[in-house]
Amino acid sequence: MERLIEILEDIQPAADYETCETLIDDHILDSMAIIALVAELEDEFDITIPTVEIIPDNFNSAKAMYDMITRLQEED
Amino acid sequence: MSSFFSILYVVVFLPSVVILYNIFPKKYRPFVLLIGSYVFFFSISGKLLLYLLFSTLSVHHIGLWLTDLQAERNAKLKLVEKTEKKELKSLYQTKQRRVVLFGVLLHIGILLVVKYTPFFMENINSIFAAFDVPVTLNIPKILMPIGISFYTLQAVSYIFDVYREIISADRNMSRVALYMGFFPTIMEGPICRYGETAHALYAGERTNYNGLTMGIQRILYGMLKKIVVADRLNILIKNVFDSGNQYDGGIVAVAAICYTVQLYMEFSGTMDLVIGTAQIFNIRLPENFRQPFFSKSVSDFWARWHITLGTFFKDYIFYPLSMSKPLKKLTSKARKHIGNHLGPLVAGAVALFCVWLCNGLWHGAGWNYIFFGMYHFVLILSGNIVEPYAKKLLEKLHINREGIAYHTFSVVRTVILVVIGEMFFRANGLSAGLSMFKSLITNFSLASFKDETILKLGMDIEDFIIVGITLLIVLVISIFKEKDINVREGIAKRNVVLRWGIYYALIIFIIIFGAYGRGYVPVDPIYANF
Repeated sequence: MERLIEILEDIQPAADYETCETLIDDHILDSMAIIALVAELEDEFDITIPTVEIIPDNFNSAKAMYDMITRLQEED
Repeated sequence: MSSFFSILYVVVFLPSVVILYNIFPKKYRPFVLLIGSYVFFFSISGKLLLYLLFSTLSVHHIGLWLTDLQAERNAKLKLVEKTEKKELKSLYQTKQRRVVLFGVLLHIGILLVVKYTPFFMENINSIFAAFDVPVTLNIPKILMPIGISFYTLQAVSYIFDVYREIISADRNMSRVALYMGFFPTIMEGPICRYGETAHALYAGERTNYNGLTMGIQRILYGMLKKIVVADRLNILIKNVFDSGNQYDGGIVAVAAICYTVQLYMEFSGTMDLVIGTAQIFNIRLPENFRQPFFSKSVSDFWARWHITLGTFFKDYIFYPLSMSKPLKKLTSKARKHIGNHLGPLVAGAVALFCVWLCNGLWHGAGWNYIFFGMYHFVLILSGNIVEPYAKKLLEKLHINREGIAYHTFSVVRTVILVVIGEMFFRANGLSAGLSMFKSLITNFSLASFKDETILKLGMDIEDFIIVGITLLIVLVISIFKEKDINVREGIAKRNVVLRWGIYYALIIFIIIFGAYGRGYVPVDPIYANF
């Protein structure tokens, strides 16, 4: 989780990733940030994030992203 | 029936379908909607209904094909060792991708042939002429079925969603048929997703009082926008755009603004009618507009205008492209070399270019539509590039981005950029659009207002007053909506006298001030032709 927050802060510093649950809904992470984020998460956590996972529910909070990463690691 | 706003549709067709729908038992109601949809389609496009039937049959079959492959894969996965699972998944993914490719090429192929053949052949003829090749291709006249641009996208989204296992393919052919051809959505959308609407369409829920009154209320609001404003502006717009280079920049600016207003009033008014109609059948359809003229940037505008088209392009073109292996690698490399901000923009630009090329072409076969797409591509990409630098500059200048002054500036700037884009969109070809733009910049004058030329183009002062009053009503309602205040529910909660007073006032206003009858030519629905 700590590494995930570091990545998020590196990509888009202007948010409190510990608490924010509306990263997509409030346009804190836009589509360009999502492109960068997905590339970074795949490299860092050795996963493949399929397009079907690119939905607001999976990116609205750091916790949601962490859950998605864990799930994809288990599926792999 | 020529449109949703024809007397035949409003007075005969829609009430008949609503009555029949409620007379029949629940299990037959979806068939009432389906037969009604085909009658509606046939009344506009005649035997071209065959296109819709073919697309429905093929999309149903392709969906089942994919689901069967997925079931076969899942059964085999249970029987193999863990080490072989990855290979098996990959094998079936390849098989599924071939089916998806076939399905998408088939549906997009039909759309390309029907919609773009004359455009491509005209351009080939131009190239031949430029190189003195003594060959001229005969340009065929291909009749286009109503709504093909909309139901084709729904077919493509269905195929992709089955492939991605967001939904299971439906074995019930009539449910797929209703999803593809539901009459309120067939002409101008909204572009629905199977998972969100198909089951509600097929549920056959009886019309209830709330749905009926709220639906009628929304239909009336749509008619107000379309008949009183959009149709009234039509003559002036047609006169100026048909001979754009005759007028000074002042008139061109008025015509461009009027066209942007007309397009919004026509399209959002039709959406009000469509969503209101569905509400009568107890069906909730996705919204297509969210106060677009309050947008602070062009990108924000497109998140609020024709929302279902934007999300279609985002989900089925932008993300799949930008998340493809080559572009992901490009993003990783670019981030290391040019940083977090510009890095993702490289792959993003490629995907964004494809989105806006498709967006332009989807709207029509013409260079002005391609220009329209590229115009927005450049604006949105440059907006993304300059964003952090603009932020720093504003901080240095001590300008509060959240303050009312900067907010107003951002909204006005966005509206101006949108109006210019729509001017090219409406122009009779790209060169006419460029000529009008030139006139706007180099020949801007207010002389036409002083000598009242502006009142001789099809709209007199009364027309402008009626349009102005109606736009004021729409603006006030939009402000409430932007503040999350539901005006329609507010009216519905008022006492019976006030409530019905408002409804009757609205009906009388539309009857008296609607632009129909002598002096007005019925206006074709703009988006239905895209």
